Amino acid sequence: MLADLASGFAALLNPMVIGFAFIGLLGGIIVGGLPGLTATMAVAVLAPFTFTMAPLVGLPFLLGVYKGAIYAGSIPAILINTPGTAAAAATAADGNAMARSGKARLALEISLYASVIADLIATMVLIAVAAPLATIAVSVGSAEFTLLYAIALTMVAAVSGDDMLKGLIATTAGILVAVVGLDPMSGAQRFTFGTTALLGGISLIPLLIGMFALSEILIRAEDALSTRPAATVKDMPKGTSISLGGLRRLMPTILRSTGIGTALGSLPGLGAEIACWVSYGVAKRMSKSPDRFGKGAPEGVAAAEAGNNAVCPAALIPMTVFGIPGDTITAVLLGAFMAQGLMPGPLMFSRDAETIYALFAFLIVSNVMLLFLGLWAVRHMQHIVSIPNALLYPSVAAFCFAGAYAVNNATFDIAIMLAGGLLGYLLRKTHLPIAPFVIGILLAPGLENALRQTLTVSRGSLSAFVDKPSALALLLVLLAILAVFTVRGLRPASSPPSQNQQRGTEK
Amino acid sequence: MTLKHVLSGATLTLAAALPAAAQDVTFDEPIRFVTPYPPGGSHSLHAGIITTAAEPHFGQSLISVIRAGGGGAVGATEVANSPADGTVLLFGDPTINSLRPQVEELAYGTDSFVPVARINYSPAIFVARSDAPFATMEEMVAYAEGNPGDLVYSSDNLNGWTYTIFELLKARTGAEMTGVEYGGGGPAIARLLGGETMAYAGDISVVGEHIASGDLVALCVTDTARIEALPDVLTCPEAGYDVVFQFWRGVLAPAGTPDEVVAALSDGFETLMADEGFLRLIGRIGSSIQFADHEAFAELLSAEIDAMGAVAELVGATQ
Repeated sequence: MLADLASGFAALLNPMVIGFAFIGLLGGIIVGGLPGLTATMAVAVLAPFTFTMAPLVGLPFLLGVYKGAIYAGSIPAILINTPGTAAAAATAADGNAMARSGKARLALEISLYASVIADLIATMVLIAVAAPLATIAVSVGSAEFTLLYAIALTMVAAVSGDDMLKGLIATTAGILVAVVGLDPMSGAQRFTFGTTALLGGISLIPLLIGMFALSEILIRAEDALSTRPAATVKDMPKGTSISLGGLRRLMPTILRSTGIGTALGSLPGLGAEIACWVSYGVAKRMSKSPDRFGKGAPEGVAAAEAGNNAVCPAALIPMTVFGIPGDTITAVLLGAFMAQGLMPGPLMFSRDAETIYALFAFLIVSNVMLLFLGLWAVRHMQHIVSIPNALLYPSVAAFCFAGAYAVNNATFDIAIMLAGGLLGYLLRKTHLPIAPFVIGILLAPGLENALRQTLTVSRGSLSAFVDKPSALALLLVLLAILAVFTVRGLRPASSPPSQNQQRGTEK
Repeated sequence: MTLKHVLSGATLTLAAALPAAAQDVTFDEPIRFVTPYPPGGSHSLHAGIITTAAEPHFGQSLISVIRAGGGGAVGATEVANSPADGTVLLFGDPTINSLRPQVEELAYGTDSFVPVARINYSPAIFVARSDAPFATMEEMVAYAEGNPGDLVYSSDNLNGWTYTIFELLKARTGAEMTGVEYGGGGPAIARLLGGETMAYAGDISVVGEHIASGDLVALCVTDTARIEALPDVLTCPEAGYDVVFQFWRGVLAPAGTPDEVVAALSDGFETLMADEGFLRLIGRIGSSIQFADHEAFAELLSAEIDAMGAVAELVGATQ
């Protein structure tokens, strides 16, 4: 295998390969950095152009776009509290709080290092144990998926702030929004009011753009009316770079989140959007000072970013080994592989070993490229925070509209974005946390599908959750988590509730 | 009565009505080619190749538009309500164009479109896990009859292609089997390989690799002719089961599109289908071309719509 990998590296020593990969990464960073332009969309739009390229030019290009976009989603999340991709939503809370206290550069660098380290480790895992890991991933059945979704849902507790009740209200609202559309099993229409536009459900990306970006603009506009302009560039401390010691302190968090992201990413269907929240929630729970989370904890940024970037290589595991795409973006990549005459599946490793190992080698090389591109980008982009709000936010608003429309080419999605903006504004004003709402939307469809599939297979018997050892183990984990919550909840609060973490209350 | 019988039986439904005068039609603006499914599936893959290679054959670029939602119903509805001038086309299939409008209440009907061109079609292959207690079609049905409901199979989507194939088999044999809809070919095959289900019926692009690797056993092909890649696998009629259902991919325009525009589009697709670069790309994704022009496609489609109506009644799914 090492020899295969070595010849893979040799195959990359071609200016065309590196050149196109560079363009792909840079393009991905731009796309991921603009709210509303998603990695999936970029890869889907660009995939046909690669059909006529050589496999080792076209595929690194697309993989570059994919990785660049997933990484760059964190940039606007940190700088303007507007995640560029849904996977960066968990980064916004702490990243933006850091940026506001003059640590934009530090936050951006933590995000970059966490992303690169996580991606590198997950790539090693992909190369070393793809086949056995994929075998485990494929044997994970509906019952285990149901329990995994339920466990992920408990992350709501970690991101609900001080008031659990408000967190649960927001979660339930998110679940209700996710229910709109066609019933996945019976095809019945739910809350569509007879309109075709709602048949496909509430589009997630436009809604999130509205909830994060537009509501942020509304809050800013209000701030500008009611308060004096905050610190200007000159008042801000000069952005400091991350120190080696600082990075070392973050390593446990990064490694743990990488493990979570790799495990979740290798399961078909659980994407970066979910991994970032789970990593964030676990990091907060493991932290000695959990109340710093949401107020600019570097661990929060590191956890979320390591979690979502580890998913990238991990999602390639079921795709390359079984030809099973883990999410939409790997489904598009699967198509691009096929258009190159590479049929992902059990036989690809013996048939196209040369190309596959060259691509694996590229995944490693691309991390080095991303690191340098990222460091260069961070140096310049930290200054975005010092652009006057009167210029910055109107431009962001324009991107909100363009991005919401571009996701599905649907005018109705602009209405969803606007509604999301109002909803986000109301949530912030009433101090209902947004994060549980988003988690509800993200997890409810998967949980519903998995639960109903489980019960169909077992023909209504709940024994499916205890019969299989793996399901039973997950069930015990879930019960343990709930038990811990219950015990903690019954204990009287030891400290007075600190200030609500949601934006809008901090002035 | 199989679908094929119906197809050959029904003739001249629409064929007489369309005098082609395609020469003078030109397109002033880019043509939007709407795929009603999310990116990544075989539909969007075909659409990507078609729109990449199309421009020289239409004198205008084709823009690939992905409009997913409602299992295809959202994109189809949007095209049905688009201007009927040939500038918006639907990349359709039997699910959204002939089956679902007859069994579900959708905002469009089978008559909301006029057929432009069929690109290709493929049969499904019934497969079982290699460790399943059956290795032939007959054994599978016998197992289902002996253990009512215990045979659990994967399917993609309610009223989708793989779903309907099993419904057809159940209606023909009266055997009880339990289907689980996983929302797509990827998860459906994953759960089959993982052992949660025992059988599936899918496109060769989804099941072929796993048949070759020995994880799955091919039972029969839902066509009247065997397929080249698997010459030893019986057709379902050969195996004794009258289950024939081909999945076609075709281009449709909103109803009311002028005949000469439809004919011009059909001509454009005909020359595209002979384009060497296009065929090379199509070959790479393991697909092939079985072109039918607008007249032939119209005949095939109207026969299929009738057949699907009959299937729906057989399965008892009419509204």
